[in-house]
Amino acid sequence: MAAVLEARGLSKSFGGLQAVADIDFAVAEGEVLGIAGPNGSGKSTLFNILTKVPFAADRGTVLLDGRPIQGRRPHEIARLGVARTFQRESVFPSLSAIDNVLLAAEGARRGGFAACLAAAEQALDLAGFPATLHNMPAGQLPVFLRKLVMIASALALQPRVLLLDEPASSLTPQEIERIRALILKLVGAGMTILLIEHVLPLLTAVSDRLMVLDHGTLIASGRPAEVIADPAVIEAYLGRER
Amino acid sequence: MDLPTLISILQSGLALGVLYALMAFGLAIVWTTLGIFNFAHGAFIAAGAYLAWQFGNAAAFGLGYWAGAVLAVAAMFVIGAVVQLLLVRPFERHRDIVLLTVITTLAGATIITNLLNVIWGPRMKQIEPALDGEIVFGLVHMRSQEAVMIAVVAVTLFALGWFLLRTPLGRSMRAVAQNREAAQLMGLDVRLLYALTFGLAAAVAGLAGVFIGSIRFMSPTMGDDPLQKALVVVILGGVARFTSSVYAAFAVGIIEAFSTYFVGLYWTPAVLFGLMILVLIVKPEGLFGRRQRSV
Ligand SMILES: Nc1ncnc2c1ncn2[C@@H]1O[C@H](COP(=O)(O)OP(=O)(O)OP(=O)(O)O)[C@@H](O)[C@H]1O
Ligand SMILES: [Mg+2]
Repeated sequence: MAAVLEARGLSKSFGGLQAVADIDFAVAEGEVLGIAGPNGSGKSTLFNILTKVPFAADRGTVLLDGRPIQGRRPHEIARLGVARTFQRESVFPSLSAIDNVLLAAEGARRGGFAACLAAAEQALDLAGFPATLHNMPAGQLPVFLRKLVMIASALALQPRVLLLDEPASSLTPQEIERIRALILKLVGAGMTILLIEHVLPLLTAVSDRLMVLDHGTLIASGRPAEVIADPAVIEAYLGRER
Repeated sequence: MDLPTLISILQSGLALGVLYALMAFGLAIVWTTLGIFNFAHGAFIAAGAYLAWQFGNAAAFGLGYWAGAVLAVAAMFVIGAVVQLLLVRPFERHRDIVLLTVITTLAGATIITNLLNVIWGPRMKQIEPALDGEIVFGLVHMRSQEAVMIAVVAVTLFALGWFLLRTPLGRSMRAVAQNREAAQLMGLDVRLLYALTFGLAAAVAGLAGVFIGSIRFMSPTMGDDPLQKALVVVILGGVARFTSSVYAAFAVGIIEAFSTYFVGLYWTPAVLFGLMILVLIVKPEGLFGRRQRSV
């Protein structure tokens, strides 16, 4: 099957620190590629250089539906269909929840105001955001709802591929369960997803394939059950975690 | 103090307030959106006045007051965007952007002021007012030009508020101001929005220049004093909301009018700056501000 998003030889260093080292991967249409690794292993940096927000890769190629995108500017990459959420709940605090999502629909340039508003409402519904809170300033929402606003905004771009950076972090078990259900719903609708997650049960439950980073390099990839049992992975986690 | 005196003080405070609101708007929106302080803002005010004079006055192109004002404001929009491109964009995302752009915008201010001097000469000019005479409304006697100014500024401020809150472009500008990176992920062209924001700030500064040029004499440095006042307004009001600096502008206008009456023109700047320092000490986010940086 043709890859929706493919990376070849992606690298990024900060001074002497090699945060992402020569990473290759491809994710196929409708596939969920899980990304695991200890703290500081380069997972978020990988998302940063894929989206060029806030910085580009030092080296490497990124292909979206077979076409190179790393020469494009960050907002163009977003409009072409690479959507992403941040690890920290990152919203526009004084804009209402609906305006946050509306902005994404407008940013994607898909039709006039009415069409964008409808797309925004649909995205919030899909994310399971309560309709009664649409007009609440996003900065005043609790963490979980801010995460939903962030996910809905990404969905409103109608992306080709969705990059989720630790959607379950700092949530309660019930909320994590809802995130899991949401991801599975998106998968059911055919969404292609890259998922970074520390909550391993969530990661293994929704991922078709798993790749594990350590010190910026790919140390294992394959079916979740096999990867989790890989001695190199166990050592990376137990040997150095936290 | 008798009632007519009180009314005339309030009236001049109101006239000052609307001018200060216009001037502060541009400073505040550039600060919140681009995170820099634009020292060329005063020069934008002067340039707007000279352009309006050039387009409008009988001695120059003679297109009349309103056509002159509109063309000047449009030209200032373009000039503002170009200034952003040349003096601010090269330092975008630089660690020391605030300091670097203090220097480049100060340089820009000097260049614009000198250009005004070279093109129009240091001789005092004045824009012919749109209306002569005065209007009388009970105890209120007001120069017609001043009434026009108050009305136009009120409409402009409402239009700007509506633009920022209700239009897609305004929403995008507020979003970029609040979270640059999230805005990029939403497909917003941050560079373009920065240039548009700077252009809008310059256009509104130009409008302030047009009004100042038609109630006082113009000189290439006529924007220096307004820039100082706008700074006081922005610091007093804070930038949490678009309306914060508008309220602060009226407060400063009225305080200035009373202070001019009671302690005289000479000491009024000292009163204002003293007040500003006091606010910086006790409420650094501004009188009407929250701590957060947003429009
Ligand atoms: N802007 C930056 N400047 C310098 N170093 C950075 C920067 N961003 C990340 N790093 C470093 O790069 C390495 C990888 O960081 P990254 O945030 O990608 O890790 P991560 O796998 O997402 O970790 P976590 O699980 O804690 O989120 C870390 O050592 C981090 O300190
Ligand atoms: Mg991370």
